[in-house]
Amino acid sequence: MSKLWKEFSKGLWKELPPFKLVLGLCPVLAVTNTANNGLGMGAAVIFVLTLSNLLVSLVRKAIPAKVRIACFIVIAASLVVAVELLMQAFSYPLYQQLGIFVPLIVVNCIILGRAEAFASKNPPLLSIADGLGMGIGFTMSLTFLGSLREILGQGTWFGMHVTWDGFEPFGFMVQAPGAFVSLGVLLALMNFMENVRRKRRGLKAVEGPSHDCGSCGACGSSSKC
Amino acid sequence: MKEMIKMVVVLSVLCAISGSGLAALKQVTEPIIEEQVLTYVQAPAIESVLTGYDNDPIKDRKKFEYDGQVVMVFPAIKDGKLIGVALETASKGFGGQINVMVGFDVAAGALSGIGITTMKETPGIGSRVAESGFTAQFQGHPLKMVELKSKGGDIDAIAGATISSTGTVNAVQNALAIYNSLKDQFAQSWS
Repeated sequence: MSKLWKEFSKGLWKELPPFKLVLGLCPVLAVTNTANNGLGMGAAVIFVLTLSNLLVSLVRKAIPAKVRIACFIVIAASLVVAVELLMQAFSYPLYQQLGIFVPLIVVNCIILGRAEAFASKNPPLLSIADGLGMGIGFTMSLTFLGSLREILGQGTWFGMHVTWDGFEPFGFMVQAPGAFVSLGVLLALMNFMENVRRKRRGLKAVEGPSHDCGSCGACGSSSKC
Repeated sequence: MKEMIKMVVVLSVLCAISGSGLAALKQVTEPIIEEQVLTYVQAPAIESVLTGYDNDPIKDRKKFEYDGQVVMVFPAIKDGKLIGVALETASKGFGGQINVMVGFDVAAGALSGIGITTMKETPGIGSRVAESGFTAQFQGHPLKMVELKSKGGDIDAIAGATISSTGTVNAVQNALAIYNSLKDQFAQSWS
């Protein structure tokens, strides 16, 4: 039980997909202009991720190592098409909103990443826990980012008016640049909190990449090291 | 060799299972999706181009054949009498197809309005064909000479969006041709 909980809960904070693993950024940036869109996209990802983890885990012993990626993609793609059809049939307005981004779940790195890194090496029950945890973490992150952008950019939250009268929304926040800026600020805050935590435990703070920058030269700080 | 056969077999079986599963799902959801598209894409346009009816145009819709193609026609009926019809046509715009719902007033022999259902025109330029400033010009327009001013008609094109405006007008002309050749059938089917 404790192992199951450990696999489930790691996706909620310790390995929070978009903010800690920095995976699956395409939907994170593209559909989070409102909280509702973030939640809808997250729900679709939970569904696909949990089922793909389960299926990959079930067939993991039958899949030859050389074609495993192709097999994972077939499984993920079928699930995504299923989600798309179901969404069109039962939640058409959400489908109109998410549009092109639903088929793109196939290439969402989280799906393939969890299949390769976890589900292909672990039994089904643990894989479900991992998929659910990662999916819920992803949904929380998307909903949070969507809420932030919707409140600042439109003055509403899930379509409800939440700001005071006379509040002038920043239209910038609901457009593409707003996504990059808010994601950057959030990542910075996450790193800041991580450093505060490490300091309290008496560990050294993490500061940028620790490998030899001088040899690569691609990053702007190569002159400093 | 054995490994290679296994790879082929596993991948083929996997694809076959997912393919047949999806085909089955598609079959089940197809009628529901059609209904949803009618409710969320066509219904608002129909409401904006037809007025004064007391039936449900979507429920009473019928399919007609025109020039080898199937045309879906939505009737507006009041007190059991056909007062108008709406049908959707498409024409090429700047960014792809422009789908236009065109409403006809049967008694007056005029257009009762148009509404854009789907399009991919440039936001802010071509997309203005969907705004009432442009579409209102078709309201009550007689059933002839639907043409841009530059071609001798009386429809003002949107500045900077000639291709989108032409596309919309072409779609209306298509609808007009369909209406003219089928209007006797319309009168028979809903009376």
